[in-house]
Amino acid sequence: MGKKLKKGKAGNAAQYMTRTQAIRKLQLRLSEFRRLSILKGVHPREPKKKPKGANKTYYHTKDINWLAHEPLLNTFRNIKAHEKKVRRARAKQNAELAKRLKQLKPTYRLDHLVKERYPSFIDALRDLDDALTLNHLFATLPAESKYGIPPKVVHTSRRLALEWQAYVVRSGALRRVFVSVKGYYFQAEVLGQSVTWLVPHALSQVLPTDVDYRVMLTFLEFYNTLLQFVNFKLYHVLGLRYPPLLDARLEAAAAELAAIMKDIAGVRDVSEGDRALGGKAVTEGALECAAANEMEMKARIESLQSRLREIVGAAVEAGGEGTASDKDNENKGSSELEEDEPPVLDSGTDDDDEDDDDDDGLGKGEYLSKLDAVARSGGRTSTSAMLWDDDEDNDDDENPAAGHVAGDLDAGSRAAGGALGPDVDPSDEAALCRNLFRGLVFFLGREVPREPLMLVIRAFGGVAAWDGEGSSHDEASEAITHQVVDRPSQGHRFLSREYVQPQWVFDSANFRVLMGTDLYAPGQVPPPHLSPFVGEVDDDGYTPEFAKTVRRLQDAARAARTRAAGLALKGADGSEFVGEGAEVDGAE
Amino acid sequence: MSKRNAKREPVKEVDSDIEDELEELDLDGDASSDDADSDVDADGDEDGDEEETGTTSDAGEDDEIEDAMLELMAAQAERAQRKAAARMPNSEGDEPGARRQPSTRTTGKSRMATAAEAVAEPDADVAVAGAKEAATVAAGEAEDADEDEEDEEGRIPDPGSDSSEDERPNRNTVGAVPLEWYKDEEHIGYDIDGRRIARTARKDKLQQLLDRNDSKKALRTIYDPYNDEEISLTKEELAMVMRIRNGQFPHLEVNPYEPYNDYFTREREVMPIVDRPEPKSRFVPSKWEEKKIVKLVRAIRKGWIKIEPRVRQDPDDPDAHQPPAYLLWADDGTAEGAGPGKSGSGLTYIPAPKPQLPAHADSYNPPAEYLPTEEEVAAWQMADAEDRPRQLPTSFPSLRAVPAYKDFIKERFERCLDLYLCPRIRRKRLDIKPEALVPQLPKPRDLQPFPTTLAVSYEGHEGPVTSIAPDPWDGQWLLSGGQDGTVRLWEVRTGRCWRTWQLGAGPVAAVAWCPNPALRVISAVVGSCVVMMASGTGPEGAEGEAEQALQAATTSGREDAAAAAGPAMGTDGSDAAVDDGAPEAGQLAVWRPRPAAMGGGLEVRLRFPVKSLSWHSRGDYFASVAPTGNTQAVVVHQLSRRVSQNPFRKNRGRVMRVAFHPSKPFFFVATQNHVRVYNLAKQALAKKLLGGGGSISCIAVHPSGDHVLVGSDDKRVAWYDMDLSTKPYKALRYHQQAPRSVSYHRSYPLFASSSDDGTVQVFHGMVYSDLLTNPLIVPVKILKGGHSVVRSEGVLDCAFHPNQPWIFTAGADAKILLYCN
Repeated sequence: MGKKLKKGKAGNAAQYMTRTQAIRKLQLRLSEFRRLSILKGVHPREPKKKPKGANKTYYHTKDINWLAHEPLLNTFRNIKAHEKKVRRARAKQNAELAKRLKQLKPTYRLDHLVKERYPSFIDALRDLDDALTLNHLFATLPAESKYGIPPKVVHTSRRLALEWQAYVVRSGALRRVFVSVKGYYFQAEVLGQSVTWLVPHALSQVLPTDVDYRVMLTFLEFYNTLLQFVNFKLYHVLGLRYPPLLDARLEAAAAELAAIMKDIAGVRDVSEGDRALGGKAVTEGALECAAANEMEMKARIESLQSRLREIVGAAVEAGGEGTASDKDNENKGSSELEEDEPPVLDSGTDDDDEDDDDDDGLGKGEYLSKLDAVARSGGRTSTSAMLWDDDEDNDDDENPAAGHVAGDLDAGSRAAGGALGPDVDPSDEAALCRNLFRGLVFFLGREVPREPLMLVIRAFGGVAAWDGEGSSHDEASEAITHQVVDRPSQGHRFLSREYVQPQWVFDSANFRVLMGTDLYAPGQVPPPHLSPFVGEVDDDGYTPEFAKTVRRLQDAARAARTRAAGLALKGADGSEFVGEGAEVDGAE
Repeated sequence: MSKRNAKREPVKEVDSDIEDELEELDLDGDASSDDADSDVDADGDEDGDEEETGTTSDAGEDDEIEDAMLELMAAQAERAQRKAAARMPNSEGDEPGARRQPSTRTTGKSRMATAAEAVAEPDADVAVAGAKEAATVAAGEAEDADEDEEDEEGRIPDPGSDSSEDERPNRNTVGAVPLEWYKDEEHIGYDIDGRRIARTARKDKLQQLLDRNDSKKALRTIYDPYNDEEISLTKEELAMVMRIRNGQFPHLEVNPYEPYNDYFTREREVMPIVDRPEPKSRFVPSKWEEKKIVKLVRAIRKGWIKIEPRVRQDPDDPDAHQPPAYLLWADDGTAEGAGPGKSGSGLTYIPAPKPQLPAHADSYNPPAEYLPTEEEVAAWQMADAEDRPRQLPTSFPSLRAVPAYKDFIKERFERCLDLYLCPRIRRKRLDIKPEALVPQLPKPRDLQPFPTTLAVSYEGHEGPVTSIAPDPWDGQWLLSGGQDGTVRLWEVRTGRCWRTWQLGAGPVAAVAWCPNPALRVISAVVGSCVVMMASGTGPEGAEGEAEQALQAATTSGREDAAAAAGPAMGTDGSDAAVDDGAPEAGQLAVWRPRPAAMGGGLEVRLRFPVKSLSWHSRGDYFASVAPTGNTQAVVVHQLSRRVSQNPFRKNRGRVMRVAFHPSKPFFFVATQNHVRVYNLAKQALAKKLLGGGGSISCIAVHPSGDHVLVGSDDKRVAWYDMDLSTKPYKALRYHQQAPRSVSYHRSYPLFASSSDDGTVQVFHGMVYSDLLTNPLIVPVKILKGGHSVVRSEGVLDCAFHPNQPWIFTAGADAKILLYCN
C-alpha cells in the first residue's frame, strides 16, 4: 500500500491559492496587493479544479512567489512605516519633524518592471493600446483633488501623449482614424505592430463618483512609465533627442502638437520641403521652384564651404596660430547667432544641429526665405489643385500623348492626391499614407477639433494652419487649399480653396484617396462615416452602399498611381507608353 | 421669550464677570465710566430738547435729530468697545461671542435694541440708566423724531431693569410660537401682566395707499406681526441693514483691525498685579533645548539628517523620483528573461484580449441602415441596463454636434478592472467558419481548356445514336453507330458524313476503331455480330493494308482457327462459309468475311447479342460483352489470328462492360455490382472494386491505368483510385438520371459523363504523379441544352477528341454534337 497523500499538497490545491491566501501570505492589505499586482501585471488564473470553491479568485502560486520577491514590496512597506512616522509627528504638533520626515519619504522606480514585463520592445508595443488610451484620457481630465488626481499626473500624461503623437506624425505611422460616438480611434503601424488607441472627444468629462480612481491612477503610473520608455526608444530609432523640447509659447497658446513638433520635426520639414519642391519642379516644370531649390542648394554648399574652412582653420591653428583671429571672428559670429536663435529651433540630432548652425551661418533671412519657398510651393499646389483643367492643358501642350487620358483617369489622379508620382509606389502603404496630403494646406476653423485633425493632416503629409499663434499661414493666405469648417453656413468664402467638413479629412485618410469635396460641403449632412476597421463586409456579410462607391474611386486612384509610377519607369522611352499604360489601366 | 432668554444668559454671566473684574480694578475704570455716564446724560438731555423742538420741526430737522442720535450711538458704542477690548484678556471664552452678538443678532424688531444692549452690557451698573435711555432712544419704535408723544412716556426707562426690551409697553409675551395660532383670535398675545393684547385694526388698502403717499416714511415702514405694530426704520437703520446685507459690520464705527493694546504692558503700572522678579530660568539656556541640539548634531553627524539642500520640492510628486528615460531595450532580443512567451514568474504569458474594434454602427455618422428602428429603441429602453448594450447607434448631423461620451471614464475603469481582476485562461477555440470547411476549389477559369461551346452538329442518323468513337490518331474522323442500323463516318471539322454503312436491320450497339494505326479498321456491333471493316481513311495505302489485313485474317484465320480449335476455345466453323447461321452449340464464335456488296470486311458472329466492344491498345485483341451470355459473356478475340476465346469459365454476376488496361496486362470486367480487375499474365484476380447500390452501366479507364471511372444506375459516378482503395475515392452524384457513359480525355486532365437527363458534365480530373497527392476533381462545365431527351433517353455516349479538349456527344435525338473550348 502506497503512502497516503496529504490533502492540499499536490495538484491544483498546491498550485493555486485564493486571493485571501495570497494577501495573507504576502502580509499586505488588499489595496496594497491590488497596487502591486497591477504594477507587476499579475492577474488571476483559472485552475481546472477550484479547490476552495467556484466563487473565489485564484492566483497561481508561482505568481504570488514572484510578487513576494519583488523589491517594491519592501519599499511599499517602508513607505507605510514612514507615513506612520509622519502621522505621529504631526499628531504631536512636531511640524518641523513632520516636514523633515516628509522629505525622507522612500522613493521607488518602475523601470525594472517595464523591462521585466516586456523583455523585448515588440512586446511593449503589442500591449500599448490600453496604455495609450488611459494616458490620453487622463491628459484631458481635470486634476480633481476630490478624486486624488494630482495635476502633475495630468501634465505628464499630456506631455507623453503629445510626444507619442509627434512620433506618429514624424514617422508617418498613422493608418486609420475613426470618429465614433465614444471618441477618436487612431491606428498606427509602429515597427510592424498595429497600435490602436482611443482619444475622448475634447469636451469636459463629468467624473463619475462610482469609479475608483486609485485603481486607474495605479495603472496610469505604470503606463506612463512604460510610455516614457517606449517614446524614448522610438525617438532613438528615429535618431531624435528625448525628451523633445516643448515650445512653452506654443503650448501656452494651446497649439498642442505644434508645440512639440516644432522641435522634432525640424529635419523632416526641411526634407519634406525639398521633396515637395522637387516634385513640383518635375510635374509642373516651374522654373521659380527650381530656382529656389538651386538657391537653397547654393546656400547649402556655401555653408559647407565655410564649415570646411572652419575645420581647415582649426587644423592650421593646431599647427600655428596664423589664422586664429580669423577663426575667432567666425566663432564669435556663430555663437552670437546661436544666442539669437530661439531654443525651439534647435533640433534633435547632432547632424541637424550642424545643419542648423549652417543655416544660422547664413542668417535668419535664409531660413525665412526657405520657409517662404515652401509656402510658395504650397501655393502653387493649391492653384494646381484648383485649376486642374489648366494644368491638364499645360500637360497636353508639353506631352501630346497625355491627351488620351480619359476623364475617368483624370478623376483617378485627382483622387490620388499627393500620393501620385514617380516616387510613390502604389503598393507601398506607408508611402501612400505619408504622401496623401502632400502639397495640401489646411486651414482649421476655430470650431473644429484641432488636435485630431492636426494629427491626421500632418501624419498624412499635409500642412495644417489655424487661427492663432504658431500657425504657419493665416486665414487669408493664398497657399491654403482646404478650409475645414464645421458650421451651418460659411460666410465669406475664398474662391481659391475648398471648404470641407472635418469628416472629409478622416475619410480621405482612411480610404487613401481625396474624396470629392462637394459631398462634404459645410452645412450639409456628410455621407456616412464608415469604420476603417471593418473589411470588405461586416460581420453580417453586408457592405454599405457608400463603401462600394468609394471602392470605385479607390480603383481609379490606384490606376492613376500605377500609371504615374509606370511613367517614371519608362518615361525616357517615349510617348507611346502613355497609351499603353492607359490601356493596362483600362484592363484593370 | 424662553429662546431669547437662553440666548442672553451667557451674556449676563459675562456681565457679572466683568463687574467682578471691574471691582478688582482701580478707579481708573470707574472714572471713565463716570465720564461716560455724564456724557450720556448730557446727550440724553440734549436729545430730549431736540425732541421737544422737533414736534414742530419738519423733515430737515428730522435728519438733524437722526444725525445727532447717530453721533450719540457712535460715541457710546466706541466707548463700550474700548472698554470691552480692554477687558478682553480677562474675560474667558464667551466674551467674544457676546461681543459679536450685535453683528449677528440683528433680525426683526429687536435689532436696534440688541445693539443698544450690547452697548449697555459692558457698562457698570452705574452707567446703566443712561445707557438704557440711549438704547431706548436708539431702539426703535422709537422714531422719537416722529410726532409720537405717547410713546415717549412709555419709553421712560426703568432704572431697576437691565433690559431695555422688557420695558416696552404692549410687549407680546407669547414667545416663539407660530403666529398663526393667533390668526383667528381677537388678540395677538399677552403682555407681561397676562393681559390680552388686542389686535389693532389693520388699515384698509385705501388708507395704506394714502399713507404711502402722504408720509415719506411709508417706504421704510415695516409691519411687525409679532407685536402687531408698524415700525418705521430710520435712515441709519436702513444704512445698517444695507451694510449687513453687504456682509459688513452693521456699525460704521466698528474697526476690526484696531491696534492691539496689551492690557498689562501698555501702561507701566505703579502697583502691578504681579510684581515678582523675573525667574532665573528665563536667563539660563534651556537644558532640553540643549539635549535636542545634541540630538540633532548627532543625527547630522551620523548622516541621519541630510543638511544639503534638497532638489526635490514635492515629496508627493510621483514623477520626481522617476529617473529620466533611458534606452531600456538597448539589448533587445538578447535580454535574458523567462523565455519567449513566459511571464516573469515563469508561467505562460497570457496577454489580455484586445477590445473589439469599432464597427460601422459605432460611427458618429453611421449608414442609415445601421440605425435602430423605433421598435429596437423601445426594446432597448425597456431592457435592463445590464442586459442591453450601453449605447445604441446614433447619428449626428455634424461633428460639432457630437457630445462627450459620458461613460468613457467608466468604460476605461471597467477595462482596468478586467485587466487585473479577470482570470485569464488560454482556451483553444476552434473557430470554424462554414466557408473554411469548403475546400478551396480552383476557379474553373484557371483550369481551362475544357469544352464549353457547341461547335459542330453532325446530323444524319435517323434514330438514337448509341455509340460514337473519334479516331484515336489525329481526331480527324468520327465514327458513330445508331439504332437505325447504320454506321457513319464523319469528318470532324466540317461535319460532313463521309461514309455510311448499312450493317443490317438491327441497331448498332457499339462502334470502335481498331487502335492499330496502320490498319484504320473500324468495328461495330450489330446484334450478335462484330463487324470489322476498312474505314477508307488514313494515309496512302492504309485502306489497302486494311483490306489485306482483313483478307489475310480471313484466309489465314481459316486454317488457324481450324488448327487452334481447342477445348477451351471453340472457334469458328471451318464451314462457316456454308451459311451465315449462328455458331453451333459447341462453338464460341464464327469468323467469316463479309460480302463485298455489303462493304466487305470481316464479321465475327457470336451466340449471344453483343452489347459492347473494347479494343486492346495494340489493336490486335478486342473483347466483346454479351451480358446475357452467362458463361460466354466475355469473349476475347484476336484479329491477327482470327481466334476467339472465352477467358472466364464462369462470371460472377452479369457482365456489363469490359476494358483493357492501357499499358499493363490487366483486364477490367465490370459486372453489375463490382469491377473485377484480372491480371492476364498471372491469370488471376488482381483486385475487386466495390460498387455502390446501383448496377454498373459504364466504365472508363484513365490513360495512366491507375484510375477508373464507373457510372452506375443509382445516378452515381465513382472515381476509383486503384492504388488507394477498392472503394471509390470520390462518388459523385450530380446527375438527375443514370449516367450512360463516362469518358477520360487521353492527354488533358478532363473527364466527362453523359446521362439520361440530357446533360454532359465535364470535370477537371487532375492526377498527380506523386502518390501522396490525391487526384483533384473540379466540376468545370455542364453541357446542357444541346440534346433533348427522347423517350427518357438523353445523351447516350460521349467521347473526347484525342488531341483537343473537345468532346463529342451522341444523343437519343439522333444528333451528334461537338463542343469545343
